[in-house]
Amino acid sequence: MAALLRALRIGQALRGLRAAQRSQCDEVKRTFQTAAVLRRVADDPKQEQVPPYSSSFHQNYQSMHPESESSRPNTSYADQHGEQAEDYETEEQLQIRMLTAALEFVPKHGWSVEAIAEGAQMLGLSPAAAGMFSNGAGDLIQHFVAQCNSNLSENLAEQHKLVQLGQTEPKKTDEFLRDAVEARLRMLIPYIEIWPQAMSILLLPHNIPESLKHLSTLVDDIWYYAGDRSTDLNWYTRRAALTGIYNTTELVMVQDSSPDFEETWKFLENRVSDVMNMANTAKQVQSTGEAVVQGIIGAAITLKNLTGINQRR
Amino acid sequence: MHKLLSSPVLRVEMIQGVCPSSLLRFCRRYGREGRQAAWRGRYLQLSPCRCYSIVPPAQDSAEKDMLDRMLRVDHAGEYGANRIYAGQMAVLGRTETGPIIQKMWDQEKAHLKVFNELMADNRVRPTILMPLWNLAGFALGAGSALLGKEGAMACTVAVEESISEHYNSQIRTLMEEDPDKYKELLQLIKKFRDEEMEHHDTGLEHDAELAPAYSLMKNIIQVGCKAAIYMSERI
Repeated sequence: MAALLRALRIGQALRGLRAAQRSQCDEVKRTFQTAAVLRRVADDPKQEQVPPYSSSFHQNYQSMHPESESSRPNTSYADQHGEQAEDYETEEQLQIRMLTAALEFVPKHGWSVEAIAEGAQMLGLSPAAAGMFSNGAGDLIQHFVAQCNSNLSENLAEQHKLVQLGQTEPKKTDEFLRDAVEARLRMLIPYIEIWPQAMSILLLPHNIPESLKHLSTLVDDIWYYAGDRSTDLNWYTRRAALTGIYNTTELVMVQDSSPDFEETWKFLENRVSDVMNMANTAKQVQSTGEAVVQGIIGAAITLKNLTGINQRR
Repeated sequence: MHKLLSSPVLRVEMIQGVCPSSLLRFCRRYGREGRQAAWRGRYLQLSPCRCYSIVPPAQDSAEKDMLDRMLRVDHAGEYGANRIYAGQMAVLGRTETGPIIQKMWDQEKAHLKVFNELMADNRVRPTILMPLWNLAGFALGAGSALLGKEGAMACTVAVEESISEHYNSQIRTLMEEDPDKYKELLQLIKKFRDEEMEHHDTGLEHDAELAPAYSLMKNIIQVGCKAAIYMSERI
């Protein structure tokens, strides 16, 4: 078994050397990591059989990836392989299930392929199924972030519905923002010890585009439910401000040791009121400016009248 | 199915396998049914109901991209046209062409209002170049009006021709995709295109062609409009 893995590794290393492309090198690295993980996990007394759909990991993930953005909700009536089984699930859904299961093992193994392998085992799959994720820990974290965002979005939609039905009072903007950001950050509390590791993984270049997308979705959702319907530059300034608030509060939270993160919420309150003050100041400056301009025009007209320029001859 | 969904919290797992347009909840605000869900990457995005479903909910992110781009550029176009007429009114407001320009301006304001609502309902990102179109539109309107009434009319003719061409290409795109699905949106764009053509004809009636360097001015403005449309779609 070990000899076979070593042979595999050598073969793949040679392939990596010949190609000498970055993606190939990444594949090789991931193969090493995955092989190491699989050996470690497979040393467990449990022997699992290979599940039917954990075929060549890269092809699957890469072919899935463009689909993941455009995959339709799975109905039992149609899928690309033409299978009609009632409980057939798409690759996409299987991955979601695996990653959700893997979250349980994150406090123990950190954000890593080990956690995903453990999650796969918990679902009754072989730990080799963790090889489905060519981005390993990055995939796990992105999944967690997307899940938190969609939970928050559901909660906000529910609150919004209650307000529309007249069952609750609408909150003021600063209170709404504070509550929304607090609700979202509280979802990190179970993982707060290892969250700095996740933050650093999200800062890796290949993870940045997707993490930025999640962040912008989050901020857009919060502002939308806070009632922002602007269609001019305000759209951008508001979201930029909230992004700043969210990121700084997250940083404060990971090093906060006060009971129930009181310091973090106080920090959040101060930042939100800063932004509100700035917005009010901007409005005041604008109205003052308009008043000044009108004053100047009035003065100019008066001057023209006094000097007789304004009279039509 | 509706009983299942009557619980206040709609879980993603329940919704998977259900066509988004069948998610119906009573919308108190406008007294009609309508709640939409759309896919945001892997997860279902719930939004409160929209006031009128002119734009159908997008089935996948490619379609959402296309609709977003169309709404964004149309919104930017109407905003720019608004500012052009504002500039023209600032110069020619008190002359005899004032009422004509005012009438066209009012129609553009109505267009802009519709697009603002559509943008907000569909959560479309506006183009970041809005302040630029603000300044450029006003400057173009005021500048052309300083060349006299004919100059203003020539500017109107050039801009309206560009906008009509642009709306026509959008209509073509939508017809190619799925005329039935986009029926209301097509109706809306056709209506706006017809009104823009009216403005174009009004401009011609009021001696646009007598403007100084008419064809040069017209070409420059149309090239500028094409560039503006290109940029607003993407940025």
